[in-house]
Amino acid sequence: MIERLPLPAPLAALLRRAFFPEGSFRLPLPAQLDRVIIYGGLVAGAVVTPILLVLIVLLVLNVLTAPELVFWLASAVIIGGALGSVLLKNIVHAALSLVMTLLGVAAIFLLLGSEFLALVQVLVYGGGVTVLLLFGLMLTNATDDPIVSDGAQKPFAFLVGIALAGILSVALVDQIWGAPTASTVAFRELGARLYRDFGLPFEIASLVLVIALIGAIAIARRDRPEDTEDTAMGDGA
Amino acid sequence: MAGDIPMENFLVLSAILFGIGFYGVLARRSAILILVSVELMLAAVTINMVAFAAYLDPERFTGLIFAIFVITVAAAEVGRALGIVLRLFRDRQTAMVDEASDLKW
Amino acid sequence: MGMEQVWLLPAIPAVLFALMGLFNRLVPRRGDFIVILGMAAVVVLSFLVLLDFQGSFKDGHFAPGDSNFYSFSWVEIDTGVVDDLLLIEFSTFVDGITVLMLAVVSIVTLMVMVYSVGYMHGEVRYGWYFAVLSGFGAAMLMLVVSGNLLLLYLSWEAVGLASYLLIGFYWERQTAAEAAKKAFITTRIGDVGLLIGIILLWRGAGSFDIQEIIHFAEGGGYGETYLTVAMLMLFAGAAGKSAQFPFHVWLPDAMEGPTPVSALIHAATMVVAGVYLVARMMPVFDVALVARDVVLYIGLTTAALGATLGLVTSDIKRVLAYSTVSQLGFMFVALGVGSVTAAMFHLFTHAFFKSLLFLGSGSVIHATEEQVVETLGGLRRKMPATTTLFVIGSLALAGIVPLAGFWSKDEILLVLQDGAGFGPFVILAATAALTAIYTTRLVLLTFFGEPKDQAAYDHAHESPAVMILPMALLALLAVIAGFVALDPVGKALGFTGGIGEVVFTQGHEGHAFKLDPTIAIGATLSALAGIVIGFIYWSGAAERAVRARQWSPEFHDLLVNRYYIDHLYQFVIDKVVLGLATVVAYFDRWVVNETGVDGSAQGISFAGYRLKFFQTGRIPNYALAMAIGVVVLALVAIGRT
Repeated sequence: MIERLPLPAPLAALLRRAFFPEGSFRLPLPAQLDRVIIYGGLVAGAVVTPILLVLIVLLVLNVLTAPELVFWLASAVIIGGALGSVLLKNIVHAALSLVMTLLGVAAIFLLLGSEFLALVQVLVYGGGVTVLLLFGLMLTNATDDPIVSDGAQKPFAFLVGIALAGILSVALVDQIWGAPTASTVAFRELGARLYRDFGLPFEIASLVLVIALIGAIAIARRDRPEDTEDTAMGDGA
Repeated sequence: MAGDIPMENFLVLSAILFGIGFYGVLARRSAILILVSVELMLAAVTINMVAFAAYLDPERFTGLIFAIFVITVAAAEVGRALGIVLRLFRDRQTAMVDEASDLKW
Repeated sequence: MGMEQVWLLPAIPAVLFALMGLFNRLVPRRGDFIVILGMAAVVVLSFLVLLDFQGSFKDGHFAPGDSNFYSFSWVEIDTGVVDDLLLIEFSTFVDGITVLMLAVVSIVTLMVMVYSVGYMHGEVRYGWYFAVLSGFGAAMLMLVVSGNLLLLYLSWEAVGLASYLLIGFYWERQTAAEAAKKAFITTRIGDVGLLIGIILLWRGAGSFDIQEIIHFAEGGGYGETYLTVAMLMLFAGAAGKSAQFPFHVWLPDAMEGPTPVSALIHAATMVVAGVYLVARMMPVFDVALVARDVVLYIGLTTAALGATLGLVTSDIKRVLAYSTVSQLGFMFVALGVGSVTAAMFHLFTHAFFKSLLFLGSGSVIHATEEQVVETLGGLRRKMPATTTLFVIGSLALAGIVPLAGFWSKDEILLVLQDGAGFGPFVILAATAALTAIYTTRLVLLTFFGEPKDQAAYDHAHESPAVMILPMALLALLAVIAGFVALDPVGKALGFTGGIGEVVFTQGHEGHAFKLDPTIAIGATLSALAGIVIGFIYWSGAAERAVRARQWSPEFHDLLVNRYYIDHLYQFVIDKVVLGLATVVAYFDRWVVNETGVDGSAQGISFAGYRLKFFQTGRIPNYALAMAIGVVVLALVAIGRT
C-alpha cells in the first residue's frame, strides 16, 4: 500500500517500517485508511511540530509559562482542526479533522481544571460521536465519488462567520470581567452537585437520549419490506 | 492550573471556533458535514461555559454542569440527525441539503 | 308573590317561547295548551301583584320609588362621562300604571291565545305561531315592568320583532312580507329617535333609571331646550310604535297578519306601548311643556285623520286599524294635557273593546274568507253570536253609556276642555262623533242589509265555542271595564277609590272621577247622532252613501288615497332615498369593494406571487438569512451598550 503512495521510495520504506513493521499485527482496517492515517499523521506532524518547537523555545526563554504553552498549543490544534473540518474537500478527512479539534477542546478542559469533562469529551465525542458520523458518511456516500463541493452561498457564509467571530470576540473582551483566576473542580464536588442539585435534569437528559435514539431508529428504519422494494424500483426509474 | 492565563483568551478562542463552525454550517452542502460544523459550534459553547464556570463561579460551577448536559444533548442530537440523514438518503439518493428543496411554493 | 317577584311575569312566557319555538314538534297539539297555561299562570300572577300593590297602597305607605326593585346589576362600565360609573341595573318597577298594563296585557293575550286555537286551527306553523305569541307576551310584560330605560328599550325592540314575525306570519304572501317590512322600518325610524332620546336623558342624569331621571328633571337638571329635544326624540319612538301621525302608515298594512295578532298586538297591547312610555315619562314631559304640546297636537291630528279614513275604507280590518290609530290619538291627546289617568283609563277600556272588535272581525273572516265590507252583509242571520258581541264592542267604541268607551272618552274630553281650551275640544268631540259614524257603517255593511256576495254568505257559519268564549269574556269586560272609574266600584274592589285615585302620575295627587253632566250628555248625544247618521247613509242599499261620495269626489279621492301620505312617502323613498342609495351603492361597488376589498386582496395575492420566489426551499439559504439576522441583532445590542 505504502508503495503506491506518491512518495519518494526511501521515505516510503521508512514509513512502512515505522507504521507497519515486518511481522507485526495488522489491524483489520480497510487498506484505504492507510492513506488517511499516513497523510493525517504527516499533516498533523507538519502543523504541530513547528508550533510546538516555537512554543518550547518560548517556554525555555521563560516568555511563556507551561499552562500558556498548553493553551496556545491546544488553541492551534483546535483552530487548525476546525478549519480542516470546514474546508477540506474530502468528507472523511473533514470528519477526522473534527477529532483533532475535539481532542484540543479536551485539552482546554484539562487546562480549566475539569478533568471529568475532558474525559467525557474524549469518550463521547472523540469516540462515539465521531464513529457515528463516520458511519453516516459510509452509509450515505455509497459511491466512491466524494462530492463535497461547497454551496453557492460560500462567500456570504464566509462574511457571516468572520463577522460573528469578530463581534463575539469584541463583545466578550470589551466586557470588564475583573481579572478573575481559574480554579479547579474536584470530581467529588462535581458528582455531588450533579446528582444532588441537578438530579431531575440529569434524569430528563437520560430520557432525552433514549427518546432521541428511539426516534432515530424510527425515522431511519425501513417501513415495510414490500414498500421498500416498490420505492427502490420507483426511485431507480 | 490555568491560573495565569487571562479568561479572555478562552473566550476569544471559543468565539473564533464558533465563527468557523457557523461558516461551516452555512457553506457546506453535505448534511453530515453540516453536522460536523454544528459540533464545532457546540464545542465552542462548551469551552465558553466551562471557562466562565472556572473563572467566575468556582463555588457552584453551574456552567460545568451545563457543559455536561450540552455534551449529552449533542450526542442525542447527532444520533437523531443521522437518522434523518439516512432517511433522506434512502428516499432521495442524496445527502445534500440543497437538493432537498421541497420547502417552498 | 308580590311586587318584588314581578320579573316572573315576563320570565314564564320567555322560557316558553324558547322551548316551544324549538321543540313544538315534540309535544301534542304543537304545544298550544302549554303556552296558554303559561299565560294563564301569568294572569294569576298579575292579579297577585295587583293584590300586593293594593295592600301597600291601602296601607298608605305607597309612594313612587318604593316599588323600584333591583334584581341584579346588569352592566357596570367605567365610562368617565358621568359620575365615572355607568351602572345599568336589571330593575323592575311597579306602580298603578304598571299594574293596569299588566292586567290588560295578560288578560288580552290569554283571550287571544284561546281564540287562536280555533282561528288558527290547521294553519301552517301552528306551533311557531303560539311560541311567538308567547314571546310577544314576554317582551310586552318586560316592557311594562322595566324600571330603567335601557331595559325598556330592549323590550321595545323585542315587541317590534315579535310584531314583525307575526305580521309576516304568512310570508309566502308577498303583501304580508312587504307589510312586515314596512311596519318594522317605519317603527324603526321612530325607535332611532327613542334611542337618541334615551341617550340624551342618560347623558344629563347619568343614569338610565326612570325614577332617577324623573327626579333629575324635576329638579331642573336639564336645560330647557335640551330636555325638549330629548323628549321629542322619545316621543318620536312612542309615535312610531303607537302609529301616530306621521308614522301611522304601517298599522293598516300590518293587518296582513293573522287577525288574532291584529287584536293582540295592533289593537290592545303593542301599539299602546307608546302611550305607556309617554305616561311613564309624564313627570318629565311636565317639565318640557313644549314637547307635551307637540304630543297633544300630534294626538289630535292623528285622531281626526284616523277617524276620517275609517269612513271610506272597505277592508273590515283596516277600518278597525284606522279606528285604533284614531283611538290612540285620543290617548295622546289626554297625555298632551298631562292627564295620565285619562289616557291609561282609555287604554284600559280600549284594549278590551278593540280586541273584541278585532276578534269579531276575525270570526267573520274565518267564516266567510272575505274581508271587504262591500261584499259582506246580512251575516247576522248566520252568525248571531258574533253579531251580538260585535255590536256590543261597537257601541263601546262609539261611546254609548254605560259601556266602557263612554267613561274613558268622556274623561278625555273633560281633561281636554280643562287643559287645552275650546278649539281642540271641538275637534276631538267631532272626531268622537265620526267614530260613531264609521262604527255604525261597519256594523251595518257587515252584519245587516242583504248579502252582496252570495258565495261568501253561503259559506258563512257561526264560529266554534273556543272563539266565541274569549270574545264573550272580552265583551263582558267591554261592558263593565268603565265602571272602575267610579268611586264605589273602586272601593268595592279594595282600592281607595276609582281608577283616578290609583293610576296617576307620580308627583300628582290622585283625584276622584267626576262626570261633567254637560260633556256626558253632549258626548252621548253626538254619539247617538253619529249612529243615526250612519243609519241614514248606510242602511239598506247605501244609496245615500253613494250620493255623498259624488257630492265631493275630490274629498272622497283624498280619503280613499289616505291623504296621499303613503304616496308622499313612496315618492320620497323613490326619488330621495333611492337616489342617495345609488350614490352609496356606486361608492360601495367601486371604492369599497373593488378598490378596498378586492383591491387589497389582489394586491396581496400579486405580492405573494412575486415574493414566493424568495422561498428557495433550501435550508442553507434560510440558515444564512437567520445568521445575518443574528449578526445584525448582535451589532444592535453592542451599539446600545
